[in-house]
Amino acid sequence: MLNQLLKKLIRNSAGQAKFALAVIGLSIAILLILSAVQLQSNYYELLNGKKNQDSIANFLVVNKSLTDQNVGASSLSLSQLNDLKKQPFTESIGTLTASRFKASIQSNSALFPFYTDIAFESVPAEFIDVNTKDWHWDEHSSSLPIIVPNQFLDFYNFQYSFSQNLPQLTPQVVKMVSFKVTLQGSGQTFSLNGRVVGFSNRISSMLVPQNFMDWANTKFSATNSFQQPSRVIIKTKDPGNPALTNYLKKEGLITDLDKTRFSRYRQVVDFVVNISSITGFLMFTFALLIFSLFIQLTISSCKEEIELLILIGNSPKSIGRFLMKRFFPPNVLIVLIGLLVITIAQYFLADYLIGKQIILTPIISWLTIFGAVLLLIVLAIVNYYTIQKYLRLQQLTK
Amino acid sequence: MKLYLEKLVPYSLKDKITLGSSDIWNQSIALNDGELIKIEAPSGTGKTTLTHLLYKVRTDYSGSIKYDNLELSKCDKDALADLRQNYISIVFQDLRLFPDLSARENIEIKRLLTPQFSTKEIIVEMTDQLGVSSILDRKVRFCSLGEQQRIAIIRALIQPFNWLILDEPFSHLDQENIIRAATLIDSACKKRNAGLIIMGLNKDNYFNYNRELIL
Repeated sequence: MLNQLLKKLIRNSAGQAKFALAVIGLSIAILLILSAVQLQSNYYELLNGKKNQDSIANFLVVNKSLTDQNVGASSLSLSQLNDLKKQPFTESIGTLTASRFKASIQSNSALFPFYTDIAFESVPAEFIDVNTKDWHWDEHSSSLPIIVPNQFLDFYNFQYSFSQNLPQLTPQVVKMVSFKVTLQGSGQTFSLNGRVVGFSNRISSMLVPQNFMDWANTKFSATNSFQQPSRVIIKTKDPGNPALTNYLKKEGLITDLDKTRFSRYRQVVDFVVNISSITGFLMFTFALLIFSLFIQLTISSCKEEIELLILIGNSPKSIGRFLMKRFFPPNVLIVLIGLLVITIAQYFLADYLIGKQIILTPIISWLTIFGAVLLLIVLAIVNYYTIQKYLRLQQLTK
Repeated sequence: MKLYLEKLVPYSLKDKITLGSSDIWNQSIALNDGELIKIEAPSGTGKTTLTHLLYKVRTDYSGSIKYDNLELSKCDKDALADLRQNYISIVFQDLRLFPDLSARENIEIKRLLTPQFSTKEIIVEMTDQLGVSSILDRKVRFCSLGEQQRIAIIRALIQPFNWLILDEPFSHLDQENIIRAATLIDSACKKRNAGLIIMGLNKDNYFNYNRELIL
């Protein structure tokens, strides 16, 4: 009731047009800032998420550049590995373990006979760009899952099959073919079934699970001692980073130079995020200024009423509280609407991207919600201080 | 609640005040609980100034004003709001009503500060007594000065108080209305055992004054 009377006394004397302007400005600013936060967090999700088959994070397989001087000594020393791990561009590092035993694969079917000697490599699962539930092995497993480079299949389908008059094979067909894998070493021979479970664009080796490799190397390797890896895979946010290129060059290491083109994605995302946040923050600042001005105008145009209210026994604090209740809820509403718009946009974005094999959480990031809360806190503080300042000023100039 | 005035001299009247010419300015006096005090003052001697000093509308003075142990000049904004809500009530000479609120709203906005003290019905009762019930829903801007004065009196009486300060409260009322208003004020003070300070130009016998002072 008291609030209703106060509302009657302290009207929007500053004018609806200014208020609408402030609301529009603030809404756009909040949308821009929150979408920048959401975009950034989407980008990080794509970069670091384990769900995406081919995320835009960049994985580089690094090895020594082979020269006449280091032929036969291409392994990377522990200190080199540690140094690489410490570099700011390295997010994580995984070693590629090469098989140290003889291996061959052979068709199980007389219809499609083949035999070839082969070598495997293994790498920790998080560096693999194939997401399949079949990627596990233990000593009781009936078959060995293998990941084959996409290039192998392409080579077979578009060159080899023509030259040998063999049928072309789709990835699905290859996955169905079971073959015999034979391992040999330390005077032992061991056979098991193998099956292709996926195709990698990232690593150009025949991959087997890490625990299989460890087991087989222990069992069949002629030299049982641990050997330093020759190749490692590093996860980096930006392979176009000059620091990375310079470091590799200095250390005599080489990598897939073509990967640098992926850094364009990052630049585009960064650009959009930066523009969006800078514009957002600029607009936010202006919107805050307009809001403050609005509060100031309202208070000064109701100077006499506020003075009289205090004179009849209202405390400046209670008037401040009333003004806060008056000015702050529209801000909360604007932020909530902003969050709602971002939520809807995120849902549709995730829906759209899933068609492009990019998996994005359809729910907005907690960072965006945190950002919204932070903006609300800033708004509350600015509102509070503006109200207090002008109430105080008004009493001083009474 | 006792009111102590110690060597009170407003800066604006510093030159006019000569020693011993006033019962209040530059004197040390104590006004006791429940006392009805008339302060008689010719024009220009500072009636309104005194009213404003006692209610801390102005602070440009030397000396001290104390309500019991509370030194008014040291009273912060919250304490002042509490004092004005619960201990001191006032009718200003210039009334200080909100012109764009109705008479009822003007009283109500004050009543709602201490809603537990008086009910809405009391407003109607008092306006009946002072003959202003019919204008309760009229904007104060459209009320006559006499009506406004009675609304201001009711607004002052709707709250709890230990001191009621009236600055020429009957200047726009006829004799009959003055008597009605004085009766209402008197009973309100008695009910609260509150003191009354009434400023006026001349002597009068509207109340049974305990003290009559010259400003």
